Amino acid sequence: MAERALRIPERIEEITEPEELERLYQQLCEEERTVEAELESFVNQKGSIAAKMIALQRMGPNLQLIEGDASQLSGMIKFTCNLAENVSSKVRQLDLAKNRIYQAIQRADDILDLKFCMDGVQTALRNEDYEQAAAHVHRYLSLDQSVIELSRQGGEDSMLDTNLSLLQEAEQHLKVIVAEKLDQAIKEGDLPQVERFFKIFPLLGLHEEGLGRFSQYLCTQLASKAAQNLQLAMGVELSEARAALVFADTLTLLFEGIARVVETHQPIVETYYGPGRLYTLIKHLQVECDRQAEKVVDKFIERRTYHRKFQVVQNNMMRNSSERIEPRELDPILTEVTLMNARAELYLRFLRRRITSDFEVADSAAPEGITQEHQKSLEKLLNDCLLSRNMQELIGYYITMEEYFMKETVNKAVAMDTYEKGQLTSSMVDDCFYIVKKCIGRALSSSSIDCLCAMINHATSVLESDFREVLFNKLRQGFPATTLQDIQRGVSSAVSLMQSSLQQGKFDTKGIESSEEAKTSFLVTLNNVEVCSENIMTLKRTLENDCAKLFSQGSGKGDQARAKIDSCLSDLVAVSSKFKDLLQEGLTELNTTAIKPQVKPWITSLLSISHNIEEEEFNEYEANDPWVQQFIVSLEQLTTEFKAGLSSVIYDNLTSLITSLIATELEKTVFKSIFSRLGGLQFDKELRSLIAYLTTITTWTIRDKFARLTQMATILNLERVTEILDYWGPNSGPLTWRLTPAEVRQVLALRIDFRSEDIKRLRL
Amino acid sequence: MSMEDYDYLFKIVLIGNAGVGKTCLVRRFTQGLFPPGQGATIGVDFMIKTVEIKGEKVKLQIWDTAGQERFRSITQSYYRSANALILTYDITCEESFRCLPEWLREIEQYASNKVVTVLVGNKIDLAEKREVSRQKAEEFAETQSMHYLETSAKESDNVEKLFLDLACELISEAKQNMLLNNVASPLPGEGKTISYLNCCSFN
Ligand SMILES: Nc1nc2c(ncn2[C@@H]2O[C@H](COP(=O)(O)OP(=O)(O)O)[C@@H](O)[C@H]2O)c(=O)[nH]1
Ligand SMILES: [Mg+2]
Repeated sequence: MAERALRIPERIEEITEPEELERLYQQLCEEERTVEAELESFVNQKGSIAAKMIALQRMGPNLQLIEGDASQLSGMIKFTCNLAENVSSKVRQLDLAKNRIYQAIQRADDILDLKFCMDGVQTALRNEDYEQAAAHVHRYLSLDQSVIELSRQGGEDSMLDTNLSLLQEAEQHLKVIVAEKLDQAIKEGDLPQVERFFKIFPLLGLHEEGLGRFSQYLCTQLASKAAQNLQLAMGVELSEARAALVFADTLTLLFEGIARVVETHQPIVETYYGPGRLYTLIKHLQVECDRQAEKVVDKFIERRTYHRKFQVVQNNMMRNSSERIEPRELDPILTEVTLMNARAELYLRFLRRRITSDFEVADSAAPEGITQEHQKSLEKLLNDCLLSRNMQELIGYYITMEEYFMKETVNKAVAMDTYEKGQLTSSMVDDCFYIVKKCIGRALSSSSIDCLCAMINHATSVLESDFREVLFNKLRQGFPATTLQDIQRGVSSAVSLMQSSLQQGKFDTKGIESSEEAKTSFLVTLNNVEVCSENIMTLKRTLENDCAKLFSQGSGKGDQARAKIDSCLSDLVAVSSKFKDLLQEGLTELNTTAIKPQVKPWITSLLSISHNIEEEEFNEYEANDPWVQQFIVSLEQLTTEFKAGLSSVIYDNLTSLITSLIATELEKTVFKSIFSRLGGLQFDKELRSLIAYLTTITTWTIRDKFARLTQMATILNLERVTEILDYWGPNSGPLTWRLTPAEVRQVLALRIDFRSEDIKRLRL
Repeated sequence: MSMEDYDYLFKIVLIGNAGVGKTCLVRRFTQGLFPPGQGATIGVDFMIKTVEIKGEKVKLQIWDTAGQERFRSITQSYYRSANALILTYDITCEESFRCLPEWLREIEQYASNKVVTVLVGNKIDLAEKREVSRQKAEEFAETQSMHYLETSAKESDNVEKLFLDLACELISEAKQNMLLNNVASPLPGEGKTISYLNCCSFN
């Protein structure tokens, strides 16, 4: 509004135009009306504002009252607050006072105790009551050292000082006495006295020393017992029942002795030394165990000429020397060594269990670091002890010797291979697997996972290289051919036989005496190959079960060990499929060299039987079958030999190959023939008879292999060319055509009565 | 095996004197760490690491062996099925280098003739303590037709390269063998060629 008031007078002089003046006037009138309306509404509000004013005036006194109340309340709160602060500071003072009183009482008690200890220890020592004296020292040692310091600083009591030094003197004195007494008791082998003084050590804070001296006692005992046992073992006559295991037995006695010592003395250690101390005791005992075990191992090496045998084996395997050792000679030693290792593993597992559970009790509230530290020292103790190293060394030699044993014995089994008429396989397969199982089983019985894995690896290698090679070479000699053109093949296979013999560096002296024998040898080898592949799977399953048992006894380090075995076993299993491949190759060889040359002419002979025939010849064929019956008889004769000589699985495989061969060859032959309407019918009949026969000799489905031929027969049987359309394309129904349109035309063209224009015109 | 999620499986075995750093190399590669004060390896251990090379998944089964004489016969049983051997020595320890011919004799005796061998000089982070010059080692490797690589398990130098290069080489060898095998005769190969091939699983 102020703006408007200013604007108008300023400009009014400048206005020269009447229109402008007029417009301004209108505008002013407009504004006047608005102002009037505003004023009106203000006047109207006057009533209600007045009413509100009255109400406010009435509230005035009330507000004064409230203000008074509020300031009073604030005063009260301030007062209470001060009061509370006063009280709590007094409580704090009281608390402090109470604590100091307690400390004072504690100190007074401690000083009293100290005095009591000082007096008591002297008396007890005089009375040779070492337990009592130690109890006093223990009390003194468990006092807060600062208390003692404080007591001395007090200075008011020089008596205390003297007494304190007397007490410390007594402590030293007691330590010496107890050590001397324990040593003496140990020397005298007086167990009650040993235990008596052993119990005193922890009271004097000498845990390690006590355990050390006590273990010394236990070790002496173990040593003399072990010496006795070894002496006895040396005197064992060779004829005695367990003579071959005498070192394993001696080692067992040693381990059992230590286990008994641990069992007997664990309670006293736990009670007087607290949990977590078993490790120290066992660490001391292990030193003696190492010493005694080494003596047994040394004697074993000496008496069994273990190193010498290893050396001979090693040189022989590296082809450094021709000096041989009879595998049979190694047999008992290998068994003994695995038993020794198994015992050691069992013993070390026992120690691990005991120490672990003792640490568990002690470390239940310990920080992670301590627990790990303990775990580490346990591993170090068990892994690095001389016993472990000695055993690892023995097992190291064992693996090489067992490998030699396995190889040599398998070679022997191959050399002595015999075949009995009527059997499918020859002796070497059973023998070879018996040996492999025996060697792996022995490795397993050592309880060493690495040893087991190594022998599985060696078995894989023996089976895959050595043994498979033998069978492979036998198959390479081939199945002798009998028909004329195969004599040439026979020559070539003889050449290859010679080559393979030369490669092996020796001639197969047996040679092939007669083709009959060679035939049997080939078939037997096929059976052998198949059995090998199955035996490997069986071996793997057995081993899996055995290992599961081993693990359930807590052997090995769980997952890692299992993974190692699984990996080695899967290499073994891979060999099984290599035998399967070999079988398939052998069968293919048999099929192409022995069967195809015979079967093929039988099929091509169909060409000489005219299928361009009329009613009369058709009937004649009906009466005198021209081809298929003879073919079936020949096939029957051919397969009888194989059916008798091969396992049913292999025979089935072979018949599958034969039927495929027949289907292929027959198809080729049909494409070279010509057919009349009745000739087509004749072929259809022949094909049906053939399929019916083949179905009886194999468990495989024939239908699929003969699908193309059956469809060809259908085509050859048509009335008219266009009839094919009833079976083709959308009309084929459930039939799936295996022939291409071009082939269909080709077959149709075999019918002499079908015109080639009609065939060409067909839309397929 | 073909059901598993990889295109190739290779076995790599580490050999060499005790203390040259075989375990550290394996742990550095498979777990990415340098283990503080672990005990010496007992027997053999293996670890698995699957890597991808040019879009193909390669599963490496890495066998770590103990170097001490007493574990030799265990270790030897793993040579034959190994696709590659990593022969390791310590560049700060002349002795571990002098033992190499002995290790090579073992390889000669036990490993497949197709095995790929790499010579590795480890601990190059300790350059000031070096006792075997790189040139000497390279020359030696050359005479034995081995690859040569220097590593530090501690500083993670060349460790990845060692295993990945090896995997690449194994893949290309496997591919070559596949080709050869496909044109093979009806009675193919004696044990070893096949065994080598079948170590790789082609899905
Ligand atoms: N400075 C250094 N030390 C290493 C290296 N690799 C291993 N070490 C150390 O060498 C010692 C032996 O290593 P380890 O892997 O157990 O050797 P292994 O016996 O061949 O398995 C350990 O103390 C490791 O810490 C490395 O690359 N550099
Ligand atoms: Mg190691």
